[in-house]
Amino acid sequence: MTTFQQQLKSRFAALGLIVILVLASLLLRLWSMQVLSGESYAAQAKNNRIREISLDAPRGRILDRNGKELVTNRATLAVSVDPANDDVRKLIIEAQSADKTDDPTRADLERVFGGVAELLGMTPAEVFEKVSDSRVEALRPRVVAIDVPLDVISQLSERQQEFPGVRIDEVAVREYPYGSLGAHVIGYTGEISEKQMAASDPTAGYELGDIVGKAGVESQYENVLQGDKGRRLIEVNASGKPQRIIDEQPAVPGRDIKLTIDIEVQKVAEQALADAIAEAHRQNFRNAEAGAAVVVDVKTGEILAMASAPTYDPATFLGGISQAEWTKLTDKASEYPLNNRAVMAAYPPASTFKAVTGLAGLQSGITYSGKTYSCAGKWVEMGKQWPKWCWNHSGHGTISFDGGIEESCDTVFYEIGYEFYKRKKEELQSFSRTFGLGSDTGVDLPGEVSGRIPDAAWKKAFNENYPEYQTWLPGDTVNMAIGQGDLLVTPLQMATTYAGIANRGVVMTPHVLKDVLGSDGKVARSYEPAILADSGVSAENLAIMRNALVRVTTQGTGAGAFRGFGVTVAGKTGTAQVYGKDDYAWFCAFAPAQSPKYAVAVVVEQGGHGGSVTAPAARNILAKLLGQKITTVHTTDNSR
Amino acid sequence: MRRVEKTLGKQVRDSVNVPIMLFTIALLAYGTVMVSSATAGMTGGSGLLKRHVLGVVVGLVPLVVAWAIDYKKLKHWTGPLLTLFAFLLVSPRIPGLGTTAKGATSWLQVFGVRLFQPSEPAKLVFIVIMAALIAEYEGRIDKPRDAVRLLGYLGMAIALILLQPDLGTGLVFVAIAFTMLLVGGMKGRYFAVLGLVAVVGIVGILGIDSTLDRIVGHDVALKDYQKDRLLVFIDPGRDPAGAGYNLAQSKIAIGSGGISGTGLKSGTQSNLHFLPERHTDFIFAVLGEELGFTGALLLLGLYLALLISSLAIAASSRDLYGALIVAGVMGMWLFQILENIGMTVGMMPITGIPLPFMSFGSSSMVTNLGGVGLLLSVWSRRYGT
Repeated sequence: MTTFQQQLKSRFAALGLIVILVLASLLLRLWSMQVLSGESYAAQAKNNRIREISLDAPRGRILDRNGKELVTNRATLAVSVDPANDDVRKLIIEAQSADKTDDPTRADLERVFGGVAELLGMTPAEVFEKVSDSRVEALRPRVVAIDVPLDVISQLSERQQEFPGVRIDEVAVREYPYGSLGAHVIGYTGEISEKQMAASDPTAGYELGDIVGKAGVESQYENVLQGDKGRRLIEVNASGKPQRIIDEQPAVPGRDIKLTIDIEVQKVAEQALADAIAEAHRQNFRNAEAGAAVVVDVKTGEILAMASAPTYDPATFLGGISQAEWTKLTDKASEYPLNNRAVMAAYPPASTFKAVTGLAGLQSGITYSGKTYSCAGKWVEMGKQWPKWCWNHSGHGTISFDGGIEESCDTVFYEIGYEFYKRKKEELQSFSRTFGLGSDTGVDLPGEVSGRIPDAAWKKAFNENYPEYQTWLPGDTVNMAIGQGDLLVTPLQMATTYAGIANRGVVMTPHVLKDVLGSDGKVARSYEPAILADSGVSAENLAIMRNALVRVTTQGTGAGAFRGFGVTVAGKTGTAQVYGKDDYAWFCAFAPAQSPKYAVAVVVEQGGHGGSVTAPAARNILAKLLGQKITTVHTTDNSR
Repeated sequence: MRRVEKTLGKQVRDSVNVPIMLFTIALLAYGTVMVSSATAGMTGGSGLLKRHVLGVVVGLVPLVVAWAIDYKKLKHWTGPLLTLFAFLLVSPRIPGLGTTAKGATSWLQVFGVRLFQPSEPAKLVFIVIMAALIAEYEGRIDKPRDAVRLLGYLGMAIALILLQPDLGTGLVFVAIAFTMLLVGGMKGRYFAVLGLVAVVGIVGILGIDSTLDRIVGHDVALKDYQKDRLLVFIDPGRDPAGAGYNLAQSKIAIGSGGISGTGLKSGTQSNLHFLPERHTDFIFAVLGEELGFTGALLLLGLYLALLISSLAIAASSRDLYGALIVAGVMGMWLFQILENIGMTVGMMPITGIPLPFMSFGSSSMVTNLGGVGLLLSVWSRRYGT
């Protein structure tokens, strides 16, 4: 073999080696990808082609006790902007960057949103505000406007390329046939917040962007109303075009619910409350703007009407509320219209509490029907340096216990309170609690506050950092006896307390849910009435109190408001002193006095006197319930 | 030699190389199965499959012709072949003859009918020419002047290719030249120079091209997509929806195939169109997805057998010229296998180079079968003087 042939042979060997090396390196790479990482790639391939689409379940309707639709659903065309669109995404990123100089300019917004904004009658900045809302998941299309007129829709879809990221979808939204009526009970809906999402049961399957109840019954019975979302697995091709349905689980619609509310009574209650505020203005209480009215069925605890002023329109929240509107609704200057004052606000009950103090006195033997007291206007039993005044500074003279209720004489109740103080057993407090005061009523509405029954332990803890204010003093019990001091109650608590007095001393748990309906429209589940508290007051003492309360509306502080009313009403006026504010007007009652059906409580913040402002409101609410004539009553009341 | 005593039967038996023919047939069958699977869900898929089979049949013509021609005679045709070579590479640029597809003017078209990509058969012409040139040095290329002359021919060829412009095919020519020069006895240091020139060349071309683009204001010479492909290779996350998309989808397809694959026609990456160019440049991704590592192993095994059989033919050649031709054909196949499979798994930049015997496309099929013909021509004349 020649040297050349040997050389050639080694070159062939080198070439063979290169062949083997090249093929081996490819094989090694394929081994790593297919054998070692095969599963991860398989998962990626699956992600590529499988899309899960959630099918929204129609939300359940909300009906009043007679089956009238308070909240229903309707389909509407919504204009949304997809933040995944390149132009839109760029603006969002710029706006979110910390560097303020990066913020999109007006010209940028005009370029991207100018067209759609003009058609929708919005400004580009308003459109962008909805799009850049960071409360919503980054990639979900944002609803910019709902109820868009058809001609606008057709323009948007015909000239789609002129509107970056704009999409048109049919969405279901809530409809409120009665407008803002009952807004505080019903509540409103909105997109689930990240906080709600985190707090929700993971098995409930909420996704960001889902519409959920945010307040009222919508929130309280969210799990009943919401229904179960359906799921559809589809296979898509590379351009995202669905090829076939792999699996489908249909949505289960939410259940309809029937409330205890009677929308006709609700209408009257809201009107009466508004009239009471107007009446307060007429009586020169210019700061009166807010209040609440509640009606409960004394035997079942059913809430027939619950009004809170100022109110709001739940439809404002449809399609996403704007920042400006939200600010307005949560601003102090507008008196927080979203708050349901019937359960979320606690006030001193003032003289309406005298019914409780009176019953406590009767039960404990401190007082009795016909016991006489002497009212000189000024009361100095606790010492001359601690004088207390009756609202009637010239004094009621000799007055009976029953007359003390009728005329709302403070002196009578100072005496009773002072007696309770001297017995040192906090009996007034424990008696108040037997009516459920000082704790949640357990009403099926969110945000309830429990009010406060002040006692020595509370005072000590409350003034932890002020040792000189920690001691429980005689004045504390005396103030509490007339419903002032540190005592706080919600309007609902006062309604249930009066319902308890009417219902043989038994307080039923107040509630707004009557029935949950099945898919066949028939009642699937009903709210079972439950006893909240049993005061154990004797029938005899209850009768004494009932008679005294009837005297209030026939000849006492509430007589003006109930003149000519065809049904006997047992009620009590109240005028609460609140530091730095005008007096709060109260009226609590139940009727008919002899066979009670309904209890009502009305309060108007800074409205002045109960007898002249809130008692006429209660009269009209009861009139509606008891088939009496609704009239406008102007009367006067100077009592507290 | 007792040539006169040879019977015709023996002559035929001598000219048949069983391994090469066997492996070629196996690869063609494998390729047909894969093209059939890849085109199954396409509109006009069966038409594509027919065209693929037609390409195989048409490819038998150059195979038989090359086999029949005594390759030694080609040595004396260098002049006409050079003219043919130049014509083939320039033809797409001739108005009325050329046409542009996917950014490259690389098709020959007559009366509006697309015929073939002339750069494909040009590869074989290049091999024959280079073999003649290298053979002159009788297995020793140690003078710088000689090396420069040979590399000059290569440079000219590449310059013509870049006119189209087709970067991938240019690289095939470099690979062909490399293997031939290796067998032709070029000194090691010239290879180093060749490598250096290649790297500097690519960087330089990219740089000059970008500068030119900026001066002229639009794409000249290299297209932006070609530059993108190179850059995406360096950083696949660069633009997942654009140039990197193909690579990402191809890797998902191959990787998801696992050991045994999803089965023919059942690859979701392929059938739901996530894979681009799935019957042509990315046919291997379909194979990887549907037949898995097992299928890939079979394919690489067939290629190994084909190349080793080719090497045996080179070794059997009675002269250096024949060995060089075989080396050129091997270099062409080996590089195309490396580049095509390599790009589908992210080892190589994405270029439009078909996978030998597997990809749909008549031009490359005809060329590869012509290459087989050249091998058989060398083999059948191994006993000659």
